[in-house]
Amino acid sequence: MKYILMMNADKRNFDAYAKWSKEDLQRNVAFMRAFNKELRDAGVFVATEGLGAPNEAKSVRAGGDGEPITDGVFPESKEFLAGYWIIDVESPEQAYNIAARASSAPGPGGTPGSMPIEVRRVLGGFADLGL
Amino acid sequence: MKYILLMSGTKAGVDTYHAWSQGDAETHMAVLRSINKELSESGEFVATQGLAGPEEARVVRGETKGVPVTDGIFPESKEFLLGYWIVDVESPERAYAIAGRISGAPGPGGAPTNMPIEVRRLATER
Repeated sequence: MKYILMMNADKRNFDAYAKWSKEDLQRNVAFMRAFNKELRDAGVFVATEGLGAPNEAKSVRAGGDGEPITDGVFPESKEFLAGYWIIDVESPEQAYNIAARASSAPGPGGTPGSMPIEVRRVLGGFADLGL
Repeated sequence: MKYILLMSGTKAGVDTYHAWSQGDAETHMAVLRSINKELSESGEFVATQGLAGPEEARVVRGETKGVPVTDGIFPESKEFLLGYWIVDVESPERAYAIAGRISGAPGPGGAPTNMPIEVRRLATER
């Protein structure tokens, strides 16, 4: 079964991250690289992506004339997706264990970031929606 | 450049969707399928995924004695990711146009859902 592990953060979190020292960033990135390699070696890796910063984000709705209506204003509290992993595992518990590893990625000064990781099952296709 | 188009909704929104008639849901999905097909044909399609409902969602924070700390309680206002598309397009405007098409997919009675679609650039290029 496939699960998606999502890192969400509000704008303040992103601003704080932008101020991390080079050393802290390098330590975090080294962890993420090793983590991705572990997932590949374990045969559970499906995909991973990092997203651009929220200041580039747009919310789009359909316009009456076929032109999209874009908006770049979001509530202060809005959680933005920062990045995700998709893994293919045997059980939800295995997904939670891997999410806990991701959550332990080092933050400033090398202490575990303890970032919340949202774990969601990924659907196989339209059939899973009952259609 | 790659963009991810995120469709999100609250639990209340998802409950509303579950109350759609079978016909409305099928019409909605047929339009999404045809958008996927168009994107494949234009070479802009990269990936799409739908996520299981919020009731299965868990948040994991670190671990205590080797056991992950999981929680399934979320604020009422929490927006859950319902699904996403990744597209490889020439410009952000093209990504917005595709997001507009998705937002315009029909809901109950055939009227556009007008769901907001969040458009984000992917930072990882491989």
